[in-house]
Amino acid sequence: MTSSLDPIRLPQSAASIDTEIDRAALALLLVEIARNVDPEHHARFDDVPASDHRMETLRQLLVGREISELSRVTHLLGEAEQFADAVGGVLPSATARAPHVQLGEALAPAVERAVQRSIQKSPGTLTDILYPVFLPAIRKSIGEKIDQTFQSLNETLRHIFTWHGLKWRFESWRTGASFSEVVLKHSLVYRVEHVFLINRKSGLLIAHVTADNATSEDPQLISSMLSAIQDFVKDSFHEKEQSGLDTIRFGELRLWSEVGPFATLVAVIRGNPPEELHEIVRDVLLRIHDEYALALEQFDGDNSQLVGIETRLQTCVDMKQEDSQQGFPWLVVAAVLLVSIPAAVWLFLSWQSGQRWQAYVSRLEAQAGIIVAEQKVYGGQFYISGLRDPLATDPQSLLSGTQVDPAQVHSQWQFYQSLEPEFVLKRLTASLAPPESVLLSIVQGRLVAEGEAPANWINRARAAAEQLSADGVVLDVSQLRELNLAELNYLREAIQATDIFFYSGKAVPGPEQTPVLDRLADQIKEFAQKARKSGATARFMLTGHADATGRETANVSISASRAETVRALLNKRGVAPELLVVRGAGTFEPVVPENSRTGSSTNRRVSITISLE
Amino acid sequence: MQKKICMLGGFSVGKTSLVRRFVQSIFSDTYLTTVGVKIDKKSVALPNRTVDLILWDLAGEDDIGSFRVSNVRGATGLVLVADGTRAATLAVALTLRERVEAEFGAMPFVLLFNKSDLRDRWAISDREIDEFRQLGWQIYLTSALSGEHVDDAFHQLASMVTA
Repeated sequence: MTSSLDPIRLPQSAASIDTEIDRAALALLLVEIARNVDPEHHARFDDVPASDHRMETLRQLLVGREISELSRVTHLLGEAEQFADAVGGVLPSATARAPHVQLGEALAPAVERAVQRSIQKSPGTLTDILYPVFLPAIRKSIGEKIDQTFQSLNETLRHIFTWHGLKWRFESWRTGASFSEVVLKHSLVYRVEHVFLINRKSGLLIAHVTADNATSEDPQLISSMLSAIQDFVKDSFHEKEQSGLDTIRFGELRLWSEVGPFATLVAVIRGNPPEELHEIVRDVLLRIHDEYALALEQFDGDNSQLVGIETRLQTCVDMKQEDSQQGFPWLVVAAVLLVSIPAAVWLFLSWQSGQRWQAYVSRLEAQAGIIVAEQKVYGGQFYISGLRDPLATDPQSLLSGTQVDPAQVHSQWQFYQSLEPEFVLKRLTASLAPPESVLLSIVQGRLVAEGEAPANWINRARAAAEQLSADGVVLDVSQLRELNLAELNYLREAIQATDIFFYSGKAVPGPEQTPVLDRLADQIKEFAQKARKSGATARFMLTGHADATGRETANVSISASRAETVRALLNKRGVAPELLVVRGAGTFEPVVPENSRTGSSTNRRVSITISLE
Repeated sequence: MQKKICMLGGFSVGKTSLVRRFVQSIFSDTYLTTVGVKIDKKSVALPNRTVDLILWDLAGEDDIGSFRVSNVRGATGLVLVADGTRAATLAVALTLRERVEAEFGAMPFVLLFNKSDLRDRWAISDREIDEFRQLGWQIYLTSALSGEHVDDAFHQLASMVTA
């Protein structure tokens, strides 16, 4: 080792940060340091400082770059602003590269808190963000609810008055369910025949489940074609909405589709499904997305990753509401008929007899002089009570022709006097017995008596008029004239002055009496007629007489015989026999006194006296 | 395993007749004119599995503007069809592919020059076809009439989309 020392050249610019270590400078420095570690050499330089600046140089040479980097990084970490800038620069790409699951888990709490804070701070912001997402869903949900209500209303109205309706109303009452629920349960007969789960992007079939006995063409082709049709509608009408075709209906067949983020579920339903089925299908789709999210997203036509998905779809296919085909209930129908036919007949007959009864009551009410106070039908019997004028039509007689059984009618009538003019008229006619020459009539609600009558009858009529006025009934007697009896009196005298004479011992008058008889018959007939006109009945008393000769008993007998003979002769001349009364006076009423031996032709006669009734 | 495949090509290149004899179909050709798309299925047996190619036959139109690109969403492969007797249809097929790739990114495809039975009216040069082959493209000269190479093309595409 030599003591001569080369001046040490300190490497000033040798250790460039960007280049490799300056090997020449390092070599020189190491040689220099090596020399100095020689103990002898060290002994000669007592004043060698404890800290050797070359060490620092050496450090610079060896790790200068790292020191510089470290200082930069330290500085970066110390300055919050710069550090934030640096992290901000790499954060997007770092997030993109991070494994999604782990990143999601790490960020979830922070994101949750952030969202929570945001809502607390300004709920409007989140509402604005979610508005376009929620609005279609809300709209769809409301639409379905309205459809459901209409469907329910429609079905309820359709069945409300049917036989089924009655049956279902009973079921609703029995089970406690609402009537519309029961109606929907029975009327919505449907069956989910196929369910397709279709990849939304490629239209490839993910899974297909079919109901028993349901057939279809190749499900893979159908799946793609359904997808193509969705695209076709969307493109044709420039529909931007992310949902798909909701419903396709073809006769009895309906295709309902529910669109999820990665897959569309299409249910093929035969019949009339309830709107709630939409929700069930949507639930199944949601569950499938929850369970198989990753496999669905990465689906590339290989469904080996989606084992078990068909079990989920099967729940859709199992849904059906079948019409209860228990056969026609003949027994029930027969039983119902057995009960209902007699009931209907009974009802009809009751109704008919009720109608007949009412017709009878109406007929009674229309009758003058009858007032119906109460009527009822009870236990197949008819009860009626009221007032009736004795002169009114007999209620019982009105039953004829009404087909109401008189035996079933129980009536109770109180008599009263009706002041209706026609009844007053009837009563007057009965009590006054007006002569034929008097006419009693009703003129504008008043009773009027007009014509000729005997004075005493007119007096009676006036008395009746006064009595009636107290009841407010007017009987006008001003038009009554007194009957002219002069002519009658003349006739009466003429008749009473006539005698029919007989020969002694004879009961038949002689031929000379024939003209007398003829005249007498005419006079009697005329008198009877005139008397009848005046309201009186004339009676003609034929009294037979005998002379005083012979025995008294024989005289009585012959006098009666003479009266009888004249009666017969008058009868023969047209005089009504009931007007003629006969009696035999014997010798007790002689016209002239006589000698009982010779007798008197004047006393052998029949005399006539008139009485008016 | 199933894959969505779109068949693209200009008007009257024979896409529909190309698949008619070789695929399983339940929909009539009228779907093409009504809905604009017809779905067919071709099952291809690969050594380790069977792949169901769900073929979306899109209505062929030379007017590229009216092409409904949304129908291609989710497809994993394309069958480009050109008419070997009309050179212009090749351009249409390639443009359609560009549109699809611009929208959904690159995807495996096979290019079919159809009507290979009409050799006398053939309008595509072998050189051109070789150039495509050198790009690594799978090219098939097919005939809907004879069925030549049709199965090969579907087989090839099936292995490409399941690779």
